[in-house]
Order: sequence, then C-alpha cells, then structure tokens
Amino acid sequence: MTTPLIELHHVDRTFKKDNQPIRVLQDVNLSVYPGEILCLVGESGCGKTTTGKIIAGLLAPSAGEVRYHGENVNQLRGERLATYRRDHQIVHQDPFASLNPAHTIGQILSYPIARHRLAANRAEVRRRVWELLTLVDLTPPGDIVNKYPHQLSGGQRQRVSIARALTVNPRLIIADEAVSMVDVSIRISLLKTLQRLRETLGVAIVFITHDLALAKYFAWEGRISVMYLGRVIEVGRTEAVVHNPAHPYTRALIAAIPEADPEITRSKARLTLRSEDIPSLTAIPPGCAFHPRCPFFVPGVCDVAPPPLDVPPNYEQQVACLPLLGGGALTPYAEQDATV
Amino acid sequence: MIGFSTVATPVGILIGMLVGLIPLIVGIRLKKIPAGIGGFFGCALSGFACGFLGGIPMMILTTAVVVSYAYTVKDDPFLSRAALDEVDFTETRTQFLIRSFASFGRALRAASRAVLRNRAGFVGFVGVMFFLLMTTFGPLVIEYDGRAHYYDRLLPGSQTLFQGPSAEFPLGLDYQGRDILSHIVYGGQAVIATAVVAGILTTLIAVTLGAASALIGGIVDTVLTAITNFILTIPQFPLLVVIAAIVNLDDRLWLAVLLAVLDFPTLMRAIRAQVLSLRERDYVEAAFSLNMGLPHIIVREVLPNMVSYIVISTIFSIRAAMYAQVGLVFLGLVPLQEPDWGVMILVARQQGALFLREATSMLLSPILAIALFQLSLVLFTRSLEEIFNPRLREGL
Ligand SMILES: Nc1ncnc2c1ncn2[C@@H]1O[C@H](COP(=O)(O)OP(=O)(O)OP(=O)(O)O)[C@@H](O)[C@H]1O
Ligand SMILES: [Mg+2]
Repeated sequence: MTTPLIELHHVDRTFKKDNQPIRVLQDVNLSVYPGEILCLVGESGCGKTTTGKIIAGLLAPSAGEVRYHGENVNQLRGERLATYRRDHQIVHQDPFASLNPAHTIGQILSYPIARHRLAANRAEVRRRVWELLTLVDLTPPGDIVNKYPHQLSGGQRQRVSIARALTVNPRLIIADEAVSMVDVSIRISLLKTLQRLRETLGVAIVFITHDLALAKYFAWEGRISVMYLGRVIEVGRTEAVVHNPAHPYTRALIAAIPEADPEITRSKARLTLRSEDIPSLTAIPPGCAFHPRCPFFVPGVCDVAPPPLDVPPNYEQQVACLPLLGGGALTPYAEQDATV
Repeated sequence: MIGFSTVATPVGILIGMLVGLIPLIVGIRLKKIPAGIGGFFGCALSGFACGFLGGIPMMILTTAVVVSYAYTVKDDPFLSRAALDEVDFTETRTQFLIRSFASFGRALRAASRAVLRNRAGFVGFVGVMFFLLMTTFGPLVIEYDGRAHYYDRLLPGSQTLFQGPSAEFPLGLDYQGRDILSHIVYGGQAVIATAVVAGILTTLIAVTLGAASALIGGIVDTVLTAITNFILTIPQFPLLVVIAAIVNLDDRLWLAVLLAVLDFPTLMRAIRAQVLSLRERDYVEAAFSLNMGLPHIIVREVLPNMVSYIVISTIFSIRAAMYAQVGLVFLGLVPLQEPDWGVMILVARQQGALFLREATSMLLSPILAIALFQLSLVLFTRSLEEIFNPRLREGL
C-alpha cells in the first residue's frame, strides 16, 4: 500500500472545562492516503471536528503523535512545517463565518497566492483567481470577484471557501460538515464539485459528517471511519462497512438510514438500542463505551477493558468489538438474560 | 503646543491650488471635467484650511474619485466574458495604478453615499463640518475682539457692560463689553484640538495595548490587565483634578496626554475582548491553516473588522476628553487662556452671569457650542458605522 499522507498514532485530546478534564479523543488511530476519501461519521460531540483540527495541525494532541510523511509533526521546523500546514486545508461548516466580511472574494483568494509567491506576478495572481473560481463552478468569475461575502449565497460562499483552500495546492482538504448548512437542493452539486476536484487534482478529502446516508453517498469509493465518544470503533471500505456492518453501533446507524424503496425499509432488520441516551464525555462508561446501549452486550467482557481496533473473522474492516474479535457471533443481551 | 497653527494662510491656498491641478488635469485627460473641477476646488480649499497637510491627502482622494468616474468596469480584463485562454491579464504599472485608484475612488463614493443615506448621520456630519469650518475659516471673516471696552459700549442707563443679543452683536457682549460671537469663533480651536489629540492618543494606546494583551497573552496580558484595573479603580475626575493641581499644565499637549492616559483602560479592555473573540473566527483559523503569518492575520483579518468600532470609540474618547478638559478649565486648574469656550463659562459665572439677565448669552453661548458639537459628533457616528461596514455600505 502507498504511504499515508498523514497518520494519527494513539492520539488523545483532553480539554479543560471548569477545571475538569474532558477526554474528547482517546487512542485514535487513523491514516489518510493520497487522493482518497475518508469519511468521519458519528453523533454530535463524538470528536469529529477535534480529529479534523488535529489532522490539519490547528490543534495539538494531548498525547500520541501525528506523522506527516513519517515524521512527527512536533519536530517539523521552518519550510517543512510551512509545507505541512499548507498541505492540509480545512473547509468549515458555517458559510457565514468562514469568509472575512471585510474583503472581496478577489482579495480573499489573492492573499494566500501572493503571500506564498504561488504566482510569478500580479497578472498571474489574477489569472489564478479566475482559474480557481471556475474550478469551483463559480462562473462567470467576473460576477463574483468584486463581491463581498455577504452578497453571495451560502452555497456560493462554501465554494469560495473551497477555492481558498485550493489556493495553496493542498494534498488534503478537511471538509467539516461542509454541506450541512447549505440548502438541500445545492448540497448534491457541491458534493459533485468536491468529488470532481478530488479526481482532477488528486487531493485527498476527509469528509466529516454526522449523516451516514450522506457519507455512504459521498464516500462510496473511499473509506468510512465511525466514531463513538472519542474513539474510532469501525473503519474500512465504505462498501464493506455499509453492506456488512460489524460493530453494533454501526449496525444501528445503517439500520436507521431511510431507503428510497419503502419495501426495503420495511424489510430491513430493526435494531433496538437498550438506551437512547448518549453518555456524557465526563462520564464515559468503562470498557467499550457503547456497552450500556449495546443490544449485544456481554457482561464481564464488554465492560472491562476498551476493545482494540482489529479485523474480526469474516470481515474485512477493522472493528473495536471484543465479542466479534473473539470470533463468536453476536447474541442479543435479552436472550442471554432468559437463559441465565 | 497643539492647535490649528497653519490655519487658512495664503501659502496654504497656493499649495491647495497646486495640488488641485492634478485632479484637474486627470479630469481633463479622462474627459470627466466636472469631477476634475470639483477636485481642484476641494484641494484648494483644504490646502487653504490645513496647508500641506490638507492639500496632499485631498489630492489623493479627489484624484481617486475622478479616476473612478472615468474607469468603467469593462476596462478590467477580469470582467470580460471571454474564456480564460483569451484573456490577457498583463497590465503596465500605470494601468495597475489606475485600477487601484479607481477601486479606491469607488470605495470613497460608496462611503459618501453612506453618509448621505443616513439622516441622523448626515445631520451630525453637517454639524461637525460647521464647527470645523467655523473655527478654521471664521477668523478670516470675524475679527477677534480681545480688548476690554469701557464706556464706548455701555448702554445708557445700564449698570453692566454685559449685553443681550442685538443686530450689531448677534450673541451679545461679555463682561468687558467684548463681542461674544468672536470669542465663540476663536475659542473653539484650543478646545477641539486638545480633545481630538487626546481622543486619538487614547485610541492609539488602547488599540496597541489591547491587541498586544489579547494576542501575546501570558505575562503581558496579566500585567496590562492589572494596570488597567488599577487605573479603573481610581475615580477618574478627582484624580485628574489632583494631578492638574500638582502638575503645571500650560502645554495643551501634556493635558491631552494626561487625558488619554486616564481614559484608555476602558477602551483597551473592550478592544482586548474583541480581538479575543475575533481570533476564534473560522476565517482566522483558515488564515492560520494557510500559514499567512501573524502580521497578516492582525492587519488583514482582525483589524478590518474592528475599524468601525475603533473609529466610533475615538469619537467617544474625543467627547470624553472635551468634557474633562472643560471641567478642568471651569475649576481653574488649567492656566486660563483666552479665547476658550471653557474659560468663557468660568468667567461668565464668576462675573455673576447667573444673576444678570443681560449676561445669559455669555454663559449659554459656549455651553451651546460645546453641546451642539458633541451632539453632532455622536450623530455622525451613525454614518461612520455605515461607512466601515461593507454590509451596510453596499446598501444590501
Ligand atoms: N476548545 C474546547 N474547549 C472545551 N471543550 C471543547 C473544545 N472543543 C471541543 N470541545 C468539546 O469536545 C467535544 C467534541 O467536540 P467536537 O467539536 O470535536 O465534536 P463533533 O463530533 O465535531 O460534534 P458536532 O457534530 O456537534 O460538530 C464536545 O463535547 C465539545 O464540547
Ligand atoms: Mg463538529
């Protein structure tokens, strides 16, 4: 396999809130390969944005290390550090907060080009701005370039955000819920633009979303990484994860995706969680954090130690679930109760 | 000494006319003659008012406006509808200069439209201009009546030289029979100049220290916050009174510095809080990720979003400085120097204006002048908001 662009090794991240530490990320291991799509999926507050920011180098891990081309990013200095920063760009969720209201779109796009001398002269900068605007389907560029962000629609702003990320020729774009705040009608075309950019420019995309249906659509040719309470619980090819979900949490998510065909929806296996409440990050359950809600909970196994992430028999993706990794099938918790 | 030292000199008008030739020539060259002539007069007048300091900036401003009228958008290759390969982006240095000038001029025109659009702001603008023009050009029209009069102006049967308004003296006469109008016209210079310098100093100190405090953090932040807290816990005006009583404030510049030092903490805290909040914005994070460097982030990303707040705070600091200054004069803690609105209030009171009907004008005129000037300033801030906020400026 090719060498990853960036790797997270046993990354922990703790925030302090009211003098109480909150463990937002625990032992996260992830790699992003050149040109691939990696989707981070999970409920709100599970640490997706935090992971994205650590990948982008905007946040430092509390423990563990981030490797860029095999080098620990803490050790990067000078030109290497600058390249690392520029190689990873982020596209934010809120189209109304991600562009500086004081500048025109033309200025927003020219600043990074001029700053990093990515164009030979003023004319080349302007040519590049034109090129970038067409690249993200903002045409004709002349209609956009002298406008201020408040004069554009949410979808157009997101496109400008993407164009701004592209100014420095990044190898990886982290799209943090980049389409969740735009109108549903333009969501698809925005996703298509992202997809096309990945194909033509070969830039990898880390796509963060809480919507597994969207992840399934967008990352069909890529990988999905499911997170739960600050841990990655399942990661693998999208097709494998969607068609053959392993972790009970993933199964529940997949079962909840509505299908266009009501027949399929009706025949789909229902999965009832034992509890709807997501535990707080300040009181993460011991062992597998999902066990209080898991319909396949095995007492004495699941609530003891956190499960490692590994490939169980009969699956191709990595899963953090001890009963599965032990080779057994999952049996519903209630039945066990009856046999006791 | 601060003040309107180069006020309305013949040399000034010469400078103004000379620099005014530039917008005029540009206007004729670009066939925008009315705009060019307007530019010429603008320069001549502001050169007249402020000499070199007025002529040169006015030249830049008016030329930009003239150019912006002439520069139509189709001159910009960026706005052509051709395909990318057919567009030629190369431009000469002059073309670039013209393009930049034109966009600057467009911004100026948008700003002036913003001033006109907001009613209250426009009234304030007119008021501020009125007082500024009165103090600069007034001395050309009205002679300063500084010598005491005795019997030549005493009305028959009157006990006092004070007089109410009359046709000859629109604002009446003061306790020495001097023309109050001339004192109002001449007496604004020192008050306004000192207040403006103090206000600008306040803002400079507050912005520099506030931004440093927020961006550097750590020990710098702790120390600066401690200092501001210390200054804020002392009652401001009494402290000012004590200092003024000890230090000899015969130089107005030192008075301005003193006012600024006592006034900056409140603003500094507000600036610090704003920078802290702006620093967390997504676009600032994006700039960090684009590795734009701290200077760019401060100057281009953070400051532009604070300009309107900073300018408006400057206006309010000017206002506060004016009050404090007049207060000190009224208490007699600053060496009295005529003509000065504050001194007028003090003297009017000392001379029994509270009990003499004829003396009402001497007391009320400076008070009204100060109050109206301040009101105009406050109203004008409404326009400033529109000028500096692109959202409001573009009228959308
Ligand atoms: N700077 C911070 N200080 C304190 N707590 C933080 C900070 N940033 C994030 N958190 C906490 O970390 C947790 C995870 O945050 P994160 O933004 O990574 O979640 P997320 O998966 O992106 O959620 P969402 O889907 O809501 O965006 C949240 O509980 C949040 O309150
Ligand atoms: Mg998030």
